[in-house]
Amino acid sequence: MTKLPATAAVQILAVTKRYGRTLALDNVSFEVQPNELFALLGPNGAGKTTLLHILCTILRPDSGTARINGIDVIKDPVEGRRNLGIVFQEPSLDDRLTLYENLNFHGLVYGVPAALRRRRIDEMLALVELSDWRERLVRTLSSGMKRRLEIARALIHHSRILFLDEPTVGLDAQSRERFWQYVHRLRNERELTVIVTTHYIEEVEGCDRVCIIDHGRILAQDAPAKLKSAHGQELIRLVARDEAAVAEIAAAYADLVVRNDTELVLKSSGEAFTEALFARFGSRVRRLAVEEPSLESVFLALTGRELRDRAAGARELTYEFGKRGGEHTK
Amino acid sequence: MTSPAIEIPDKPMSAIMLQLGGVYAIWLREVKRAIRDRGQLIGGVSRPLLWVLIMGIGLNPYFRGEIYGEVRFVVPYTYLQFIFPAVILLNIMYTSVQSAVSTIWDREFGFLREILVSPLPRATILLGKILGGTTVALFHGSLVLALARFADITLTPLDIVHGLALMFMLAFGLTSLGVVIANRVRSFEGFGVFANAVILPLYFTSSSIFPLDPSLTSAQTKVVYPEWLVMLVEINPLTYAVDALRGAFIHFYQFDPKLGPIVLVVMAAVFFLIALRDFQKA
Repeated sequence: MTKLPATAAVQILAVTKRYGRTLALDNVSFEVQPNELFALLGPNGAGKTTLLHILCTILRPDSGTARINGIDVIKDPVEGRRNLGIVFQEPSLDDRLTLYENLNFHGLVYGVPAALRRRRIDEMLALVELSDWRERLVRTLSSGMKRRLEIARALIHHSRILFLDEPTVGLDAQSRERFWQYVHRLRNERELTVIVTTHYIEEVEGCDRVCIIDHGRILAQDAPAKLKSAHGQELIRLVARDEAAVAEIAAAYADLVVRNDTELVLKSSGEAFTEALFARFGSRVRRLAVEEPSLESVFLALTGRELRDRAAGARELTYEFGKRGGEHTK
Repeated sequence: MTSPAIEIPDKPMSAIMLQLGGVYAIWLREVKRAIRDRGQLIGGVSRPLLWVLIMGIGLNPYFRGEIYGEVRFVVPYTYLQFIFPAVILLNIMYTSVQSAVSTIWDREFGFLREILVSPLPRATILLGKILGGTTVALFHGSLVLALARFADITLTPLDIVHGLALMFMLAFGLTSLGVVIANRVRSFEGFGVFANAVILPLYFTSSSIFPLDPSLTSAQTKVVYPEWLVMLVEINPLTYAVDALRGAFIHFYQFDPKLGPIVLVVMAAVFFLIALRDFQKA
């Protein structure tokens, strides 16, 4: 990596935000260096989207500062917005316009001069492999294609900072993989700082740094490898033969257990642990797997919970409500 | 595959060009969406046909200033000529207010975010949006002009220019009103109901389909029409808008000719400012 310039690409300083009585962000601070691929990892409702919305000035924090390329976005939102590109969690394309028209609209609004605008539109459409669809209406695209178009759009004004808010939610595995290919290709071709929020753990393995966030607080931030060596745990996942066995194992390893439907997850302390477990319960286990330290286990170690898609709890629902401006519109 | 891009130096546009570009982008989008929406165009064509060819021609013979068999006053125009400017108002009104639906649409389907994170000030965004709606409404208003010969109205080019200027102000004010409504009523269904609840009463009490005859003293007017109705008509700003349009197209004024344009300008300014205030909070 090249030598880091003095200003961070993105700087968050002691940001706090409440929705009513729910504390969405609790004194959050971090910095992202230029050209970094930075991931915000956390379950739904952890506060990731709120953080991005503060950075792109849709929301104002209750206290704290956010800077983009050294510009205080709370004091000077217009200048701040000029410096960033964003792909929102929900699609934000006009599906009654063509691909070209959507991109051209963006270029005009961001003041990209005509000749340059035409060239960048062609370039970006080629990059996300949508050139053939240029004159189609956006509503005829699949959701994976729409996502790609949104990346293309976020870069029309040549922003050096790109925010991706849960960009792969709702995409099939193949589209997800291609999406990441485009992001990596972009980073090879130009200076680009990327901040991505996600709750898919496998997606953050390729990031430079990961910030784990839960209940509005930062729990850890570091390179994935360092996180694993610092907080990682060998895990044993087992499915027992019957309910009685489940109960007994759970009782025997009370503080090491996470229960997950029929599955038990034990934090292992090494081979001796596994052998002891086998000696005692080997005959009553149907299936057992030993997992190397992964980010999944890092998350488990830090929060005591697994990071999985699950139904929205009361906290998440309150969030959604707050994000809609506290109105029952849907 | 594209080779690593050689960037043309990123010369930013001047501030004014940036604002104009933004207004143009938003305006263009509104107009394109309207053109692609067949339903809107059908409404824009069918409404004047209905009002001029059916309602207008149908009621034409009954328009004689005659009350209980006694001629009380004479309006020197046929009913068709009389309602023609009002049908223009109606067409502009529907289209203007309806165009604000796109505001709700944008909020619901996420495009509003794309606009809000752009480096455009809210006033520019709103101006582009309202000018877009105004353009479409002006176009729908002009469609009515094509029926002028059926209503036995001859238009000089000067009349048309005069009329279009008034129609523009009217469309601008009503589109702003639509945005104000859309900011308060946030669902599609609610907007439809509310818009109709605003449009039709305003239309019917704007002296659009019956005259408050200027040849009568106000005392006599009240003998013919109940006092509450006269009051409603007089406080309705659209009364003066219709009057101004009538002045332009059939040279018939019920009020002081200066009053109409003044009311139109004030209306446009007030509704735009309210819409802007709402939008800046959103």
